[in-house]
Amino acid sequence: MNTTTPDLLVVGAGPAGLAAAVTAATHGARVLVVDEQPRAGGQIWRRPDPGNPGPDPLSAPAYAAGRALLTRAAAHPGIDFAHHTTAWGVFATRTAPDGWAAPPGTPVPAGPRVAVHGPEGVEVLLPRALLLTAGAYDLPVPLPGWTLPGFLTVGGIQALLKGHRTLAGRRIVLAGAHPLLLIAAAQLVRAGADVAEVAFAQHLPAPADLIRAVAALPGNRAKVAEGLAALRTLRRAGVPVHTRTLLLRAEGEQHVTAAVLARVDQDWRPVPGSARTVACDTVGTGYGFVPSTELARQAGCAAHWNGPAGGWVLDHDDAMRTSLPHIWAAGELTGVAGAEHAVATGRRAGLDIGRSLGLLESAAHDRELRSVETELAATGRMAAFLDHTCAPHRAGLHALADDDTVLCRCEEITFGQVRHTLADNPGLDTADAVKLLTRAGMGPCQGRMCGPALLELLHRETGLPRETIGAFTARPPVKPLPVDALARAHDATTTPESPTDAGPVAR
Amino acid sequence: MERTEVLVIGGGLLGCAVAYHLARGGAGVHLIEKDQLNRHASGQNAGSLHFQLEYRMIQHGHAVAARAAEALPLHLDAMNSWAGLEDELGEPCGVRRGGGLMLAESPEDLALLAHKTHLEHTHGLDVELLDARATHELAPYLSERVVGAAWCPGEGKADPRLVTHAYARAARRLGARIETGVRLTALRHDGRHWLADTAAGPRLSARAVVVAAGVWTAEVAAMADIRLPVVPVALTMTVTAATRPLVPHLVQHAGRRLSLKQSAEGNILIGGGRAAKFVQQAGTLDLDARPELRLDSVFAGADAARVVPAVQRLPVLRVWSGATSLAPDQLPLLGAVPRRPDLYVATGGSGFTLGPTYSRLLAEQILTGSTALPLDDYSPARFGALNFV
Ligand SMILES: Cc1cc2nc3c(=O)[nH]c(=O)nc-3n(C[C@H](O)[C@H](O)[C@H](O)COP(=O)(O)OP(=O)(O)OC[C@H]3O[C@@H](n4cnc5c(N)ncnc54)[C@H](O)[C@@H]3O)c2cc1C
Ligand SMILES: Cc1cc2nc3c(=O)[nH]c(=O)nc-3n(C[C@H](O)[C@H](O)[C@H](O)COP(=O)(O)OP(=O)(O)OC[C@H]3O[C@@H](n4cnc5c(N)ncnc54)[C@H](O)[C@@H]3O)c2cc1C
Repeated sequence: MNTTTPDLLVVGAGPAGLAAAVTAATHGARVLVVDEQPRAGGQIWRRPDPGNPGPDPLSAPAYAAGRALLTRAAAHPGIDFAHHTTAWGVFATRTAPDGWAAPPGTPVPAGPRVAVHGPEGVEVLLPRALLLTAGAYDLPVPLPGWTLPGFLTVGGIQALLKGHRTLAGRRIVLAGAHPLLLIAAAQLVRAGADVAEVAFAQHLPAPADLIRAVAALPGNRAKVAEGLAALRTLRRAGVPVHTRTLLLRAEGEQHVTAAVLARVDQDWRPVPGSARTVACDTVGTGYGFVPSTELARQAGCAAHWNGPAGGWVLDHDDAMRTSLPHIWAAGELTGVAGAEHAVATGRRAGLDIGRSLGLLESAAHDRELRSVETELAATGRMAAFLDHTCAPHRAGLHALADDDTVLCRCEEITFGQVRHTLADNPGLDTADAVKLLTRAGMGPCQGRMCGPALLELLHRETGLPRETIGAFTARPPVKPLPVDALARAHDATTTPESPTDAGPVAR
Repeated sequence: MERTEVLVIGGGLLGCAVAYHLARGGAGVHLIEKDQLNRHASGQNAGSLHFQLEYRMIQHGHAVAARAAEALPLHLDAMNSWAGLEDELGEPCGVRRGGGLMLAESPEDLALLAHKTHLEHTHGLDVELLDARATHELAPYLSERVVGAAWCPGEGKADPRLVTHAYARAARRLGARIETGVRLTALRHDGRHWLADTAAGPRLSARAVVVAAGVWTAEVAAMADIRLPVVPVALTMTVTAATRPLVPHLVQHAGRRLSLKQSAEGNILIGGGRAAKFVQQAGTLDLDARPELRLDSVFAGADAARVVPAVQRLPVLRVWSGATSLAPDQLPLLGAVPRRPDLYVATGGSGFTLGPTYSRLLAEQILTGSTALPLDDYSPARFGALNFV
């Protein structure tokens, strides 16, 4: 790491993080961007490792803006990147920091301590401002067969394609509710995959009409063009695109061999007798995205439930400040709204960070603010439209799992086991308490996979609002790291004069 | 107004276990818990069943150690209680008594262990000093840096996820009423009964009240106009991903804060009392907010775990903080509160290991007025001077 004390530390080199970094750096901030991936770009602008030959997935016209932003960020002298570097914990956000991390004699700056783990091991960064732009991941939907090899999310299939130029399977069924299904299906077709079917659960006019409706929204031409191009590709390839069609389960012994789909009503309830089987070796689901709020919540940032925007999203004000001082958030963490809106929120955050670091005159700030606000409004309209038409019907998805369906894959806990525990322990009704007693959510994924489904299960079983049930408490490390890395950090941060063994306890 | 015989404040291990023993003795019991059962210290702890004196008791000289050793009769009782607990409750509690080692890495550690073992022998604890060879024969997973250990065959672990709930279910089967999401907000005696106000609930009246409120004990006692010196302590726990069976014992350290064990599911739990930090609200500790973790504690815990080299390769899944309560002399705070009719308290010290014992003895005292083991040394009366009585 070139510096451990940047003006601004950005966690996540996706659209939001890049836009914020460029904005803040343009005003003179020294910015460090960390990302666990090998290259910048986030989810949508994901690219293979530099050493991996082949065409650039970002050469498509839809990615022109992304290419430009990536190029600007990479070339900016005020921006440093640390790749393969995971931010795994944010400390000292609610209590005074300990002096231990500073070299002897230096004053201990206020502000959060951000612990990262990268090629050089664990390091602790002390930024003046912290921006969290950790993005989102596909909503996992537990249903019979979802633990079979060959069952993926559409984002996973797309990541294999963009990041590794690998087709997830030979014959693929994509099912869900999010327009990403169309984009990914078209990319798969162009890469030579056999896409057996794309199934949308919504009770909607045809996707083409949907796209036309979107076109009515100003400022979103690129997005619309991308959708139309995808539809044309699928039509030419003869890929059936169905609406009002829900994936009920995947079948197979050792691997997925078929998807079972059915017609559904407005509430995503299967129409009796409509189930049909489609042979395939791969299933990808795309019901929308879940904001990756774990690092922010671990830091202590307040979050609230907003189902259409992806679930738990961070509280923030107009300038993208979270509930904690020194910490901003942008992009999908503040509500799933697509890449264009992520860029706009990133610019907004970058501008406010520049102002709060004292880098901008107020006149310059206000001028730029007007253009950012225009961009925010336009991209926000698109996001609201998508929320409205493409939000997952959580009750309908919940009904797909039966008692034998695995809820928590890490600890292999079924829906039936959780129901049984609830019946046995009256009054048990928060996500954390159920996790502690059942172990659901205790595994390596930290509950990212089962969290949304467990919340839904508890909501249905107890009738309590989701806010009362709550999210799993997020703990560091938000992504696992070896004990050894922490022990080495101990070696690096202790001196014989300041042993850490004798804490204040019982002193 | 709802009437009950004994009102228990707090749904941790101690509250649920007291409720169980009272119900078993035929008393009408009503337990109220402000959050969920087992959501605080009782569900956050390391689950060590440590009957040897702990690091925190032996690190401050012989006088402190001798004072702490006065609780050893409770340790011996607890060793027996845990042995029969799963049968008694008819519920799994994850009890496994594979023995415990307290390690030495230096001559100073060895000297501490020798003194400690001597103290323990005078109180009748089965513990043995092992030299380096015997230690490594018994525990080949240990680092070469370990030069000896104190071995206590009765030590082990239980599963903090399960024990409180096991007691609560058993208590309910015996007729106890257990309510969650009910917070005590006021407590006064009207000359005949205790009257308890709860947030968003009815007023309760009870003949006797048991305060089993963990770090909130002083706060609840203050509602009855009693000052109790209960020091809240914020601590750190680390857990790794599951691995093959590796460590069958409870591992502690004579010279460092460390407890290390493997859960039934294969995860390695690393604890031992490393500090976390309480969050403050307007200048006072906010006991309701989870304590903030300290990076130096997280790093030092991983360093101490180097005594089991194979652990170093495992991924850390989570680090969490919890809060527990200590009395200034590190002894239990257990028994009747003087000058307050039928007000009882149970907290302080190794409340998980000693929980079954604390709760049985306290219920005995409430039901019969006397106990099988004398509680005088642990009585809140020793802090009577603080209340000017
Ligand atoms: C798999 C997938 C595919 C998608 N494909 C498309 C698409 O084709 N078209 C579209 O419009 N939208 C797509 N989306 C939606 C996409 O999330 C947004 O449009 C956009 O990428 C959001 O930008 P962002 O900056 O908020 O987050 P992201 O682009 O998700 O970027 C977040 C970055 O943060 C990094 N990160 C997260 N946590 C940490 C941490 N603790 N430490 C270090 N780094 C961290 C991640 O590696 C990632 O690079 C996709 C989403 C997913 C999940
Ligand atoms: C990280 C950690 C590791 C530990 N490791 C060990 C170990 O290995 N071995 C060991 O023996 N001990 C250990 N301990 C200590 C042990 O966990 C505690 O001593 C024991 O759990 C105390 O149980 P309790 O029921 O008194 O407290 P708690 O479990 O804290 O229960 C008290 C309950 O009272 C409730 N309450 C408080 N105020 C009110 C109110 N006004 N109204 C209603 N309800 C209220 C609280 O919500 C809480 O649920 C550890 C503690 C921690 C934090």
